[in-house]
Order: sequence, then structure tokens, then C-alpha cells
Amino acid sequence: MTETPTYIGFEEYSEHVPAGIPPAVQQATNRFISGRAARVAELPQWEELRHIGSDIRLHTIENMDVYLSRLEEKVVAAGGNVHWAETAEAANQIVLQIAREHHVKTAVKSKSMATEETGLNHALEQEGIQAIETDLGEYIIQLAGTGPSHIIVPAVHLKKEDVAEIFSEKLDLDAPSDPVELARIAREVLREKFLNAEMGISGGNFLIAETGTLVLVTNEGNGRMVSTMPDVHVAVVGIDKVIPDWESLTVFLKLLARSATGQKLSTYTQFITGPRREEGEFGPKEFHLVLLDNGRSKVLKDPVGREVFKCIRCGACANVCPVYKNVGGFAYGWFISGPIGAILSPQMLGTRTARELPYASTLCGACADVCPVKIPIPTILRHLRRRVAEGDEFATATLPTLPRLSAGFASIALAKNWIYRLGTLFLPTIMSIFRRGNWIANAPYPLSRWTRGRPLPAFTAGFRSWWRKAHSREDQDSTR
Amino acid sequence: MTNPVIENVRRSLGRASQTPTGPRPAIHHARQAESIDVEIESFLSEIKKLSGVGRSLVPSDIDSELKALIQEQNIRRATVWETAHLRQLGITEILHSLGVELISPNADKHEMATCDLGVTEAEYLLPETGTLVLRSSAGKPRAVSLLPRVHLAIVRPQMLRADLHQIFAEVKDDHYLVFITGPSRTADIELTVTLGVHGPRSLYVWMVGR
Repeated sequence: MTETPTYIGFEEYSEHVPAGIPPAVQQATNRFISGRAARVAELPQWEELRHIGSDIRLHTIENMDVYLSRLEEKVVAAGGNVHWAETAEAANQIVLQIAREHHVKTAVKSKSMATEETGLNHALEQEGIQAIETDLGEYIIQLAGTGPSHIIVPAVHLKKEDVAEIFSEKLDLDAPSDPVELARIAREVLREKFLNAEMGISGGNFLIAETGTLVLVTNEGNGRMVSTMPDVHVAVVGIDKVIPDWESLTVFLKLLARSATGQKLSTYTQFITGPRREEGEFGPKEFHLVLLDNGRSKVLKDPVGREVFKCIRCGACANVCPVYKNVGGFAYGWFISGPIGAILSPQMLGTRTARELPYASTLCGACADVCPVKIPIPTILRHLRRRVAEGDEFATATLPTLPRLSAGFASIALAKNWIYRLGTLFLPTIMSIFRRGNWIANAPYPLSRWTRGRPLPAFTAGFRSWWRKAHSREDQDSTR
Repeated sequence: MTNPVIENVRRSLGRASQTPTGPRPAIHHARQAESIDVEIESFLSEIKKLSGVGRSLVPSDIDSELKALIQEQNIRRATVWETAHLRQLGITEILHSLGVELISPNADKHEMATCDLGVTEAEYLLPETGTLVLRSSAGKPRAVSLLPRVHLAIVRPQMLRADLHQIFAEVKDDHYLVFITGPSRTADIELTVTLGVHGPRSLYVWMVGR
């Protein structure tokens, strides 16, 4: 998953989901859902936190320019370097340039959605720089050469026997199929890389504008390694990760781990403001922050769709999604999957490339119920379906002529009283041709596609008379 | 000072001014502290829930506790933060007398990586989550709580704060901080929880004094 997709065939993929994926994904999602539920139950002010979290994110989106300017100013004041990348390609070039200047041969990476979005690993490898993923799950799938199936546990679709086989083959050793032993092997192999890499690359969970601080959350400690051991630390972060101040962060830290893994806080939360200050404290001599736009600023034009940027990447929406649980992460075709991917990808890649994704949902609303920052995902899905159907700046309308004409006619007929009444007058007559008792068994095309399977109840078209009768009864009741 | 990304953001938002539309929405909720004994109790019990070892000690226990720790974890080499409190407790002297080789906390990273034990203190503690807040300086290097396979943090009750709000107010101008909540962990292979994947496998937290 290193290239920006040109078309995402969700439907095609979802018809050929490998049999092992749904049970593995469901095991993970069920674990996370119950963990989340337990943590939420402990916190009586949970709903209040969600509410405030949502308000702060909206405020930040509406003032993003202000907070980004402040962030840049503060990072520079702390001795860090800020780079602005308008495109994925530009971001990769910036990182490559820094790598060249420092004669980097090996870069260690902690999990970063932004660099998966830009395909940075591929760009580094083309320059002969080895980029090593160090999150255990990411490391496994990098060795296996596949993509992530879940945002938190990317290799959950692989059994321990698969991992043992991958390790044995790629690392040229005899790995047992025991998770603890496999983790120990990875620790040893990667420890060596951490100590010798010239550059560390990370993403970022939040950027605090108030002080120019990068907030990095991990459980394994690899995020600490990449930002502590090499002499150069480069963080590639989407511009949507900015938050106003530390006080805002109190809300998001309480929401994030509880929603993601059912932890109260993740194991390590780092707050990095510029490079190290003293020789002996460890930490990088140079700190670079690459701020990635890659279509985000364009998405901001749509006041309905831009609420997607409230997201704090917890993955709870995917964990509860009945569609995601049955297809897994690959089907969504880009770095981000689940309901949030279904509303983000079409906006960033365009409604032509990702036009199937807004339909990858039953609109059941479970995602909106668990979202810690109250993103109205079903509303945005419907909004994007409309953009796909009617066409927008990215793509022409996808809806075929017949349904579009009938929808157009229906909207006129239902809005004009006299046309509607005329219709109800003639409908019983028209219907009598097809009617058998109270049922319509053989309707003409296109309705025949339905009646071939099951009959339709006959329309009585009697709503208005029913309404009159019902109301006159009510009136009598109330005067009694 | 302007750049194309910020310009594009501003244009998309249709904003002319460069001032925020209003203040950041207010945050009302903050946890209230309980009595100090309850706070210590919940802090230590959270550490235990996270598979760490949390314990309340008096300074005279340090000698025997260190001895037990060194045997239990088979510690040969250690590195210790250079702070007033750790000096006052005589940590390096005790370790030395127990036959543990001491490495300077400012040593080269390859040498630091050979240590079995890293001893630090914490600046602040969060009782609700069992979290240690560590600062960074030449006397308090970041690698000590990261590279050795065992991390021992020696803390005091006055470091407890009720909630993130109080801690953030005191640390926001630091150039580096790490919040540590339990030992390094992963569940990436078949969701089996495994400790010590990159960071320390074992976390000991000793609360000294009351």
C-alpha cells in the first residue's frame, strides 16, 4: 500500500474477502469494543468529554490557519525546523533531502499514517535508504509485504504460525510459533536497528500550537526509540492534527486510549518541543516537522464533509462497523479503513477514485454512537453519496438517467399537491391490471425485478382519506 | 510570514481575518483529589493492574528491597539518574556494594543498552491512571527509562496531582516529557499481551515516605 490508488474497487474486493480475515478482525474488534465499554462505564463525565472534544475540534478546524501559524512560530522558536508539504510527493522529497544531508543509510520508523499516505518507504528505498517499520505489527506486515488490516493491530489477520514462518524466512533463523518468543526476536533485531539508524521517522497524534509540541502516543516504546536514539528526528504529520493548547489535550488524552484499546492511557505519551537541549540527555540533535496538506486544505471547503478532521484516529468506528467486521481493512484501498476511511478517502482522493466507499455502509449509525469526538459519520456518508450521485468538482454524476429522471419527477409530484392527488385518483385503476386480490404478483419492469422474488402489497393510495377520518376521530375524542 | 498551505487553508475556510473566530470552548471537568492515603492507594493499585510492581516503602527499606530486586531480576549492570533525592537515598552506593556495575547515565547509547536496570525518579504522578511523568536533562537522560530491561522509579507522595490539568500547567514549557503508564506492551500477534517489546519488560515503582 505505497501508491496513491487510482480507483478503489470496494465492491469487487468485498466479494473475494479471504476466509481468515473476518474471524481475525472480529476477535480484535470485539476485544477493543468490550475494553472501551468498561473504561467508558467508569467515567461518569464521558458524554460531557465527547461534547467538549467535539466542540474544540470544530473550533480548531474553523481556525486552522491561525493555529498552524502559531504552531510554526513556536516550533521554530524551540529550535526545530518546519517544512510545509502541499503534496505527498513534496513531503517525500523533503524527507529525502534531510536524509541526503545527513548521509542516512537506515531510517527507523514508528507507526505513521501520514507516511503510509505519502508512500514514503517506497521513496526512501528508491534512493537506497532502508526504512524499517518498528511497531511489531507493522514490522511483520513489512516483512510479509502486505498492507494493514486494522488501524491498531495491523497484522491481526496473520496467525502466530504465519508470523513464525515470515520471521524464519526473512530473518534467516528458526522462529517458534509462540507470540512471546516472536516478540523477543523482534526486540533483539530491532534494538540493533534503533541503536545504529541515522534517522528516526514518526507520525504524530497531536500538535500543540500553544508551545509547538509534538505529542506521540505508543504502547511498545518504538515511538520513544525513534525520537530518542538517532541524531535526526523527522515527524510527518497531517495539518489536521493541530490543537490549540495543552488544556485541550486533557480532553483528547482521556478520550483517545479509552476509545482505541480500552486503556486509560497508552503506555508512553511523549511531548516533544524541538531538539535536545543538553548533550547528555539523549534525544535528537535536529528536529524536523513536515506538515502535510495533500488535499486537506481543499476538503475544508465543504462545511459538511470537513468534520472528518475532528478525527483523533482511535479506530472505534471501525470496531463497531458491521461492514468493516466482515471485509477487514484491505477493502478500503488506502491507508485508512473503516467508516472514517469511507468518509475521508472520497474527499481526499476525489469522488471518482473512491466513489464506492460512501456506499460501504448500512448507515446503522453505530460509528457515530461511539465516536469520541462526535463525527456525524452517517450524515457525511449520505452527503458524499449525494455528491457521487449528482456529480461534483471531481466527477460527473454516476446515477443512471432513468432513476435520476424518476427521482426528479417524484420530487416535483410530491411537492405539488394537485399532481399528487391526480396520481392517487388514477393509481387504483392502473393497478387493477396487475392486481390479484390484495397483492401484485407480476409488476411491469423495473418493478418486476422485485415481484419475481416476492409479491408487493397492493397500494390503496388512501392516506389522505385515512388522515381525514383519523383526525375527525381525534377531534371528537378531544371535545368529549 | 506566509506559505501556500496556510493560504489554501484560509481560502477554503473563507476567512479574511487572522484572528480566531472566538475563544477555545471552555473545559469544565477536572478530577478532584481524594485524601493522600486514598490517592497513594489508587496510584499503586493502578500500577499493579498494568502488570507493574507498585509498593510503599520507608527509606530504611531501600537496602533490602534493592537486594531482592537484583536477585529476582538478575541485575549485573545498572544506570542511575543523577538527582538530589536519589543521591540522598544512596542508590548508587547500595548498588555498588551489592556488586552491580554502574554505568554513567550519560554514557554512549550502545553502552547504555547493555544495562539491565535503569533507576529514575518522577516529577509528577497521576493516581487515576498509574502514570509517571518524567522530565529530561543531562542529569535525567531519557534513555535510562527506555533501554534497560528493568525500570525502577523512586517516587514521593508530594508528586501526586489530581488530574492532567495541574500537571500540564506546570510542565508545558519543558522541551521534552514522557508519561509512562506501565511496562512496554504489545498485543500485535494474535492479540496476546506481551511485555517488554521495545521498552522495559518490568516496571517497579517505589513510593518512599508518606
